[in-house]
Amino acid sequence: MSRNRYIAIFAISIALVIAAVCVYMDQLSSTVSKNLMTTVDEISRHDVESIEAALDNSYSRLDAVAKRMDVYDVQTMAEVQEQLNLESASSSVFNAIYLLDAEGVLYSSSYVKFEPDEHSYDEMWRDGRDHSVMLYDDANGRLETTKESLIYGIKLHDAEFAGRRFVAMLGRSDVSNIRDQLLIESFDDQGISSVVNSQGYYIVSASPATDLTGRDNFYDMLDGGYIEDGVTVEDVRRNISEGKSFVINCTRSDGERLVLSFAPVEGTAWSFILAVPAHVFEERFAPFIMLTAAMLVAVVIVLIIMMSVLYRFMKRSVSANAEAAARAEFLSNMSHEIRTPLNGIIGLNHLMEHNLDDRDAMEGYVRKLDKAAQYLLALVNDILDVSKLQAGKVTLNHEPFDLYNVMENVCEMQREPIRERGIVFDMQARDLPYPYLVGDETRLSQVLMNILSNAVKFTPEGGSITFRATQQLVVAAQEVNTVITIRDTGCGMTPEFRRSIFDAFTQERNSNADSQKGTGLGMAISHMLVCQMGGTLAVESELGEGSCFTVDVTLPLDQRRIGELPHETSNATALPEDIFEGVEGFEGASPRTCPDDAEERQGRPAEQVNLLVAEDNELNSDILTAILGREGYNVTLAVNGQEAANAFGQSEIGHFDAILMDAQMPVMDGYEASRAIRGMRRPDAKTVRIFACTASAFAEDRKRALDAGMDDFLAKPLDVPVMLKKLEELRRGLDR
Amino acid sequence: MRERGGILHAKPFLLAACALALAACGFLASGCSQPEDAKTHLLVKVPRTGHDVVFDESMTQIDQVIERLARDFEASYDKADVEIEIEVFEQNQYDSAIEDTFDTPGSPDVLYGDYFNMSTYIHTGRVVPLDDVVHGGVRDGVYEYLWDMSTVGGKVYMMPYLARQNVLAYNKAMFQAAGLEDHIAEGRITSWSIEEWTHVLDALAASLPDGSFPMMMYAGSSQGDTHIMTLLRSAGSDFFDEDGRFALSTPEGVEALRWLQDGVGRGWFPPHSENLEIEDCSSLFRGGQLAIYMVNNASIGRYGDTVGLVNFPGPDEDGCATTFVSGFEVFDNGDPAKVQIAKDFLSHVYASEELMSYAAGTMPASIAVAEKYRGDIDQFDLFLQNQGNVVDFTGSNPDTRAVREVFYLCIHDLLMGETTPEETARRIDELCNKAIDEGVAASKLHE
Repeated sequence: MSRNRYIAIFAISIALVIAAVCVYMDQLSSTVSKNLMTTVDEISRHDVESIEAALDNSYSRLDAVAKRMDVYDVQTMAEVQEQLNLESASSSVFNAIYLLDAEGVLYSSSYVKFEPDEHSYDEMWRDGRDHSVMLYDDANGRLETTKESLIYGIKLHDAEFAGRRFVAMLGRSDVSNIRDQLLIESFDDQGISSVVNSQGYYIVSASPATDLTGRDNFYDMLDGGYIEDGVTVEDVRRNISEGKSFVINCTRSDGERLVLSFAPVEGTAWSFILAVPAHVFEERFAPFIMLTAAMLVAVVIVLIIMMSVLYRFMKRSVSANAEAAARAEFLSNMSHEIRTPLNGIIGLNHLMEHNLDDRDAMEGYVRKLDKAAQYLLALVNDILDVSKLQAGKVTLNHEPFDLYNVMENVCEMQREPIRERGIVFDMQARDLPYPYLVGDETRLSQVLMNILSNAVKFTPEGGSITFRATQQLVVAAQEVNTVITIRDTGCGMTPEFRRSIFDAFTQERNSNADSQKGTGLGMAISHMLVCQMGGTLAVESELGEGSCFTVDVTLPLDQRRIGELPHETSNATALPEDIFEGVEGFEGASPRTCPDDAEERQGRPAEQVNLLVAEDNELNSDILTAILGREGYNVTLAVNGQEAANAFGQSEIGHFDAILMDAQMPVMDGYEASRAIRGMRRPDAKTVRIFACTASAFAEDRKRALDAGMDDFLAKPLDVPVMLKKLEELRRGLDR
Repeated sequence: MRERGGILHAKPFLLAACALALAACGFLASGCSQPEDAKTHLLVKVPRTGHDVVFDESMTQIDQVIERLARDFEASYDKADVEIEIEVFEQNQYDSAIEDTFDTPGSPDVLYGDYFNMSTYIHTGRVVPLDDVVHGGVRDGVYEYLWDMSTVGGKVYMMPYLARQNVLAYNKAMFQAAGLEDHIAEGRITSWSIEEWTHVLDALAASLPDGSFPMMMYAGSSQGDTHIMTLLRSAGSDFFDEDGRFALSTPEGVEALRWLQDGVGRGWFPPHSENLEIEDCSSLFRGGQLAIYMVNNASIGRYGDTVGLVNFPGPDEDGCATTFVSGFEVFDNGDPAKVQIAKDFLSHVYASEELMSYAAGTMPASIAVAEKYRGDIDQFDLFLQNQGNVVDFTGSNPDTRAVREVFYLCIHDLLMGETTPEETARRIDELCNKAIDEGVAASKLHE
């Protein structure tokens, strides 16, 4: 499944979660809103019931006064008012009590007499109800107070005192008397209840005026603010006068948003109002928002983690599958690659058996046999390299080397193929300022060889290869950054292959069968080696245009040779062609490093050189004995380390000039045998030259051999020319 | 408008919540910095009080005057950017407006009110002395008797702005109906001896019809009790001793109490006047049902020529009157800078004859304003001439309201006949002096 598909699935999952949360929030808000409104309703109902109960209580008290007045023996109006005075004084509700006679005259408990033209309180019963209450307004007649008061009224039926018929009794009470019992704060004291009359004057409010001149009007507050949803103050006024229950959202002039809930007070023209700041609702809703947000975040995080784990698992699975497939393919290829030269060897062997007498044919077969064997050797080396590099068991050498030599040797080794293919080779590495470095010369050579041989391999006839190197001093002049670029005009690579060129077990297949020479591990090995050196190996390539490999590696300067000038081969006149002239063989010896033939010592004849060969494998010992014998050396054979040590110990002093010691042998291995020989008390025990012969060809193996007292290292399968050259050097160094 | 239902809308709310969260992030990221308000806020509290100004009919409340003073100060003050907030409270809510707000953001920096109520706060230790404001020019420009009333322990704690002189008024028509034409004095504030008072009241009681009464009397609440206190000087009592403590347990004091108690039986007062309040008597007087009631120089205008003026019965033949002074106090809420600005505000007002002139309508504290508008202020000269008969009704009382809470109850019981004059005198002395003692003990003047 592609990455985009995973992203799409992830995005859809997130979208679904968000959609689900939105639906949840919608439902949640609806539930919270209903819950809050239920609370508002309950508070409103409670307050309205309290108000109605207080009103009923006041009416009852007035009824009781009226009944008592009926039983008092009052003969004059003075006595009637005096009785009212006493009733008022004993009342905990009323500050004054009034009697309204049939002519409209109002008699007060404080003896004040209001003529009909001085008041209009008789209009309290216009609506026909027996009980009525109103907010005191001196516009209806100025009574004995300027305080905010309520006027309660009850209708009297057949009431006659002191010969005068009375139609109603009124009770005046300070609003403050009932405010405390009606004012109930809610929502953590943020919900404010109030009661207004039809004119909008507050009967009960949180910050009431106690004086008529200071009272506030609810409609003034609305006029100064803004009502949402297109509702007008007139709409509110009409609803209150019609005794409706309703809710509005409004913003006061000071910017505070309020939710106002209205409920009528039965038996009055009043409306109970519960004002709750909008932020109260939002604060109540906030925990749910936070909870939901936290839940959403948690779900998204879990989803991301799950998707990530799933993605990585699937990616790993895909990768593992691909790797397994690559391994299978590699094994198949290796099988093919190994079987092919083996098949050649077997075939050649067969041919050689039938052409023993044909020297020309035999020479051809032997050359082909050698090539097949070399190929097999390279194949095995590569496989071992990859395995050790992947296991992290490769240890790089840190020894001084000459970068010029490295490059020259590499180029030299490709001289023949380049010449054969008519490739134009451009060497642009002549002016390196810091050729003397410290590092693993062999491995660097291996990398460059891999790249250059590939370039040669994939560059068609008439193409060109550019070998370029630059250097720059870094890290306080202690290290040198070297960038080596090998650019060819070969077939190039597809982008897909370019991305996997450094992967092991991959090899691009194309129609050019000739290009398929190799294990396909070279680039992987090179990449891993450069990485281990702390550098980078990059590739640019266009199919059909060619490729460019860049090795970027920083290595320490050889401190001992800092002041030394680069050698003459870096001279501009040393053209690439020069490199390919006057150089012999593939042994890697540069012209400079070759000894002067004129001064070469003759040394002891081979026939006088005695070699002790320790080799447990009979075939190998036969081959070795035959090769060395053909060169004239005297060979003594030992089949294990113990025999070798014994043979050396029992020989005359100085008899053996060198020992070729196999590393892995039964009874006693080569390392132990070397230590045993070096430990012997005889003069030649310390001086006899011991060559380690082992198939373990890595640096750590080399170190192990040297630590055991051996002097040199010959990797198996033995490179016969190298071995003979080393022995030749030994021979020449021996006195006649 | 809708029936009960949903209030929160989830989607916009969700979006708003997200926006809020982002805004909060931005707010947090920005370091939560908020611009500092450089303005200095001064809170001036004033009780709701009617007020007329002779040259400005638009002024009907004293808070309008304070607003005018504040805006003028804001515009001219250059030592700081000052914003003055005026908060109006009800006359009977001094406690909740002042003392209950101490140590809260609602605590007043300046209070304008009646000395009668304000003097209590001096003893809380929060009212600062204003002697540095009362420099030579300011002191000389205000009537000296007002400074006396503004001074406690030798320091000026209140700045007088205006005064109202209280005397008694009588209904001329009712007097005429009662055959008391001889006692009607035109163009002056008259005075009667105790005998004359007794005669007048008896005559009125005998002649007035049912539902009409000779003289005010009330003890239903503490409101207006200073007038009753003043009546207790009728037999020659000084009311207070030399230390400013209640001293009614004297023959003169008891006599005055007896005079009142006798009046109940002689029909001088409305029946069961112990249940009445001063507003009841005001309504009776206004409706022509009461012959004698108290007025002040600011309210006299509403009665026109229907009433005559007479001093309260007093220790001598001139009788006595009382004065209610109104002015300013400055509170120390812990911010010396605001205290200084508050003082500068008062200095600004008292340095301006124009701002002081808004007292013209009552008796201005400013001599210059009084001189300028004496012709326009109703009966100004009459009351000014009567200034010599003004008596103090506060004594050394540091907690006026505590005394008031017990005094009217004593009168209530006296009027009901439940206590004798002697018992009443003793109770008043005992309870009121106890309140004074407690006030003195709790008194703490600002250093």
